[in-house]
Amino acid sequence: MAESLVLADADVVLARARAGDMVALERLYRAYEAPVYNLARRICRTVEDAEDVLQETFFEICRSIHQYRGEGSLWGWVRSIAASKALMRLRRNKYRDTDELDDEYHGPVLGKHEHGGLRMDLEAALERLPEVSRAVVWLHDVEGYTHEEIAGMMGKTVSFSKSQLARAHTRLRGWLGGEGALA
Amino acid sequence: MTGHLTTAQLLACREPGLEPGVVAARAHLDACTECQAELQRLDQVKARLKALPTLRPARDNWALVQQRVRAERRARWRTRIVAGSMAFAAGVALMLMVRTQLRQDAGQATAIHEAMQRSSQLEQVIQQYNPDTRMVDGQSQLVAGQLEDRIAVVDRELERAQLLAAREREDALLRLWRQRVGLLDALVDVHLTRAQAVGF
Repeated sequence: MAESLVLADADVVLARARAGDMVALERLYRAYEAPVYNLARRICRTVEDAEDVLQETFFEICRSIHQYRGEGSLWGWVRSIAASKALMRLRRNKYRDTDELDDEYHGPVLGKHEHGGLRMDLEAALERLPEVSRAVVWLHDVEGYTHEEIAGMMGKTVSFSKSQLARAHTRLRGWLGGEGALA
Repeated sequence: MTGHLTTAQLLACREPGLEPGVVAARAHLDACTECQAELQRLDQVKARLKALPTLRPARDNWALVQQRVRAERRARWRTRIVAGSMAFAAGVALMLMVRTQLRQDAGQATAIHEAMQRSSQLEQVIQQYNPDTRMVDGQSQLVAGQLEDRIAVVDRELERAQLLAAREREDALLRLWRQRVGLLDALVDVHLTRAQAVGF
């Protein structure tokens, strides 16, 4: 998604950012603000948590941009910081046991949804997943991380990541009904 | 294999690898239209997840990030630069001694030493004033922030200059320390001139 966000003068901006230039750092912020926030918001439960993750991610980027050596894409580097901060936020908040289905709906509904086992839209179903399951689904299915990478970031096993993904899809299947199937 | 594949088995079919269980699941998948349909449904959910709209923050968070970065830079000056200055001053003193012994021109090393001392004095003036705890008007804050950013850039260059060859290093250090003194002078002006104007 954010790979398309290529700064026209990326090399110059990066060189200036590495030297601590605030204008260049702000340009990096503007380029990656939306995808970082999106990742954080999809993983974290609340808008406030997502904004904190956004700030912490860019604070870290400003501090350590000189360590980015251009190995791999800049977005890949930025995203790994954002994912790590979002997962740290989950751990810090000590959200509920991942085996427990979160039946209570928290936070704003992003799209229309229906209660009582009727079909929900995907946004609502995603929000309803337990935090860790949702994080695994997002990191694996959308951001493209492997189970090995997710396990490493979460400090868990590969099997844990795989089972969280399977459970999440089973739940989504139940909530979405046959909506996902091809016609 | 009896019965249909579980969600976990279907997802495993999409992963690379040839574990025995996955091989058997793939063989079943090839022959079972129901499991193929279910896997397509899973793929469809994944595609729909990727197509969800990008959520954007309701407010601009850059100002808060910038504030934290600047506060950290200030904190870093107070520790690292003072310690670094002392260590470097010791180095310059040693260099001066060596140069004296060798009867070489110590003018440049002395100039660096003087610039460092002046820089340290100005740091102390700012530290005593403690701008973090003061109310500052928008314009002064903007100018002070810009000066702090430029000082941070000079600090980075100073770190790099240490890695240069001897003669080149001294030229760079003198230039950068003088530049730093100029910026700190300006920063002191911003803080103290304004403070005096409002009677601090």
